[in-house]
Amino acid sequence: MSRVPGAALAPSRGLAAGGVLALLVLVEIVGRLGLAGPGWPPLTDVFGYVAKPSAQQLLGRALTATATAALAGFLLGGVVALLVAVLSALVPATGPGLERLAAVVHAVPLIALGPLLITTAGREATPTLVAALAAGFAVFVAATSALGSANDAQRDVFTVLGAGRASTLLRLQLPAGLPLIVDGLTLAAPAAVLGAVIGEWFGARRGIGVLLVSSMQNVQTDQLWAAALTAAAISLLAYVLLVALRGAVNRRFQ
Amino acid sequence: MSIDALSASRRVPVAQEGTARPSPARLLTRSLGRVLSRYWTVAAFVVAWQLWSWLTGYNQIVVPPPAMVFGDVLGNIGAYLPDLGWTLAMSAGGLVAGMALGTMIAVVVWSSRIVSGMMTPVALVMRSVPVVAMIPVLARVFGYGWFTVLVITTVVSFFPAFVLVGSRLRAAPQATSDLMAVLGASRSTVLRLLLLPHAVPGLLVAFRLTAPTAVLAAMLAEYLMGGRGLGTLFAQSVSFHEVGRAWGAALVATVVSVACFVAARAVERRGTVRFS
Amino acid sequence: MPARSNDLALPTDTEPAIALRGIVKDFPLKRGAAVRALDRLDLEIAHGEFVAILGPSGCGKSTVLRLAAGLEQPTEGEVLVEGRSPAELIRAHRLGVAFQEHALLPWATARNNVALPFRVAGREVDRERVDALLELVGLAGFEDARPRQLSGGMRQRVAIARALALEPDVLLLDEPFGALDAVTRRRMNLELARIWMEQRITTLLVTHDVDEAVLLADRVVVMTGRPGRVLHVQQVEMPHPRGGEVTRDPEFHALVDRLTGMLDDPEPVAATS
Repeated sequence: MSRVPGAALAPSRGLAAGGVLALLVLVEIVGRLGLAGPGWPPLTDVFGYVAKPSAQQLLGRALTATATAALAGFLLGGVVALLVAVLSALVPATGPGLERLAAVVHAVPLIALGPLLITTAGREATPTLVAALAAGFAVFVAATSALGSANDAQRDVFTVLGAGRASTLLRLQLPAGLPLIVDGLTLAAPAAVLGAVIGEWFGARRGIGVLLVSSMQNVQTDQLWAAALTAAAISLLAYVLLVALRGAVNRRFQ
Repeated sequence: MSIDALSASRRVPVAQEGTARPSPARLLTRSLGRVLSRYWTVAAFVVAWQLWSWLTGYNQIVVPPPAMVFGDVLGNIGAYLPDLGWTLAMSAGGLVAGMALGTMIAVVVWSSRIVSGMMTPVALVMRSVPVVAMIPVLARVFGYGWFTVLVITTVVSFFPAFVLVGSRLRAAPQATSDLMAVLGASRSTVLRLLLLPHAVPGLLVAFRLTAPTAVLAAMLAEYLMGGRGLGTLFAQSVSFHEVGRAWGAALVATVVSVACFVAARAVERRGTVRFS
Repeated sequence: MPARSNDLALPTDTEPAIALRGIVKDFPLKRGAAVRALDRLDLEIAHGEFVAILGPSGCGKSTVLRLAAGLEQPTEGEVLVEGRSPAELIRAHRLGVAFQEHALLPWATARNNVALPFRVAGREVDRERVDALLELVGLAGFEDARPRQLSGGMRQRVAIARALALEPDVLLLDEPFGALDAVTRRRMNLELARIWMEQRITTLLVTHDVDEAVLLADRVVVMTGRPGRVLHVQQVEMPHPRGGEVTRDPEFHALVDRLTGMLDDPEPVAATS
């Protein structure tokens, strides 16, 4: 029962692989037997569809559009959120108001924002902007709590040493908060992918989101599932990359 | 209470208040200042909106002025309420079902090392899947109807509860666990007396995270599939170019989302005080 | 006699290095109520003097230190350090401080932690001084270690080296060894006695350890709590430098016993709040 690293690892790896395999088999069986109706195809059919060159071309184009929008949105949202968090740390009087604004902007439902952005920013920019909003909120929430995460004794030392706000921010708050900021980025990455997909629902020309809605309306079940799996895959990839980054940061800054 | 602890915990010296009671005028300015410091951005937002609608030359197809939108909501509240109620019911139903299911599965995972080993990677994968983006798939599987909306809000509510309750179950205070072991408590007793109460704060955090998401997911599903609810109201007003009604639906949805968030946070705070 | 720096002509030798006069400190609680932490407290510390404030936890002794450090403002009375307000000294980067929590930056090496005061003050880092300080606190060879790789005692040594970095006018130590085990603590006390002999900085130490106070201080101020007041001031006449042999001296033990007795059974002070 004890947690000897080497001993516990082997069976748990086996169990993990077993778990993923069981999930895949379950999805296949439900589809094969038609337990969930015609909307749930066998997984092998979906893979068979993806193997076709025409499908790969279609999915590839959609993937490029969505990944680009998600990445651009992630960067834009992350940078803006960090700047706003830094502003609220340097000018504490603005803090409560900026936090309320972020909460309100976040609470504005995406369905309200989508058409609004389409009319103001255009079809091409909308997925990026929705992704930026989704990612930016996650980063902002993480960053504001991150900049407050230095402990009281450390702050007292900085106060007594006569450190100004900028110096405290640079030498204490930012490095102390970096692990939490990276945590926020880890949440923001899948949020950016989701934001890009939802942004595409409001009338973008191409992308995974467009493919999802058109396949749903045209009853192209295999294509629908393939698009969904692609969306899940890029989301998972973004998450895994940032979890790796988080590991590196935690080793260095804790 | 230790004075030194009190001293250390009060990092920011407060302004000296003197011995006299603050006058009503001072109280008023202080509370006004507090409201202003918290909500100046929201006020600025409405002002910017008004300015923007002026700049577009009152082109009401693009940007209706705030007064028109607020007027439509307040004047025709009857047009909004049934859809609002429907959306809230769908969100609440999914929220309860999803959180109950998440807690149950978390307990099952806790109770079995094998299930736990199998579920951990699956949970990791599922956690990073954009569930809301899967609405078209769920709509295809479960059909275009209220049941699908309920399924979607349930799925959205499931994961935070599952993950957060699960991690609280595994992170029970060691000393109390040891005490229970020495007392010879069975696993079910430990679960009932120690672990489930210990897991409540996790469930409350899940509630705060999920409540606004559930409302959003319900509206997105309604927007894509039609039927009833705020999402559908919005989609229809957009397609019939009823700009005031469309923005009104967006405004109502925003207010409801903020209210859900604030309410969920209040519930979380109350509950956390009680259970930790 | 208290040891005094005799080499430099101090600007105002007649004026105390730290002066707290008529200090009242209230902490506001909820609904307008307040708790009185310090009640009409007077304390003066001469240049180059080492004063220890001794008292049970919760007696307000840390509040005295935080007032001198400019981390708290008195409700009534005045705090002067080197004839100026603590805030002015903070702006001039003339204070050194170490707490029970080492408060080191976990991502920085020992050397960079000691160099922090230079950077905060916007001055060029004096590498030689930083390394000399690390050697002074017995950490030569550990310059590039991170706090995580150091023991509890070593972390406190780094924190003390950091406090000394800019040659502060005043050194403020708040239970700097409070989190250490008894053996390490005793060793650190002897180390601090040695370091202080070399630097002779005006020092205010807050502690609840009677041995530590008597071993290190020229004067021990015993406080009682609720509200905090000075119960007794004890001059410690044993000559510096004080090494390990002092702790076996009967005079030392007699003093420790007397002060311990005061902590156990403080004379009732007339309550007039």
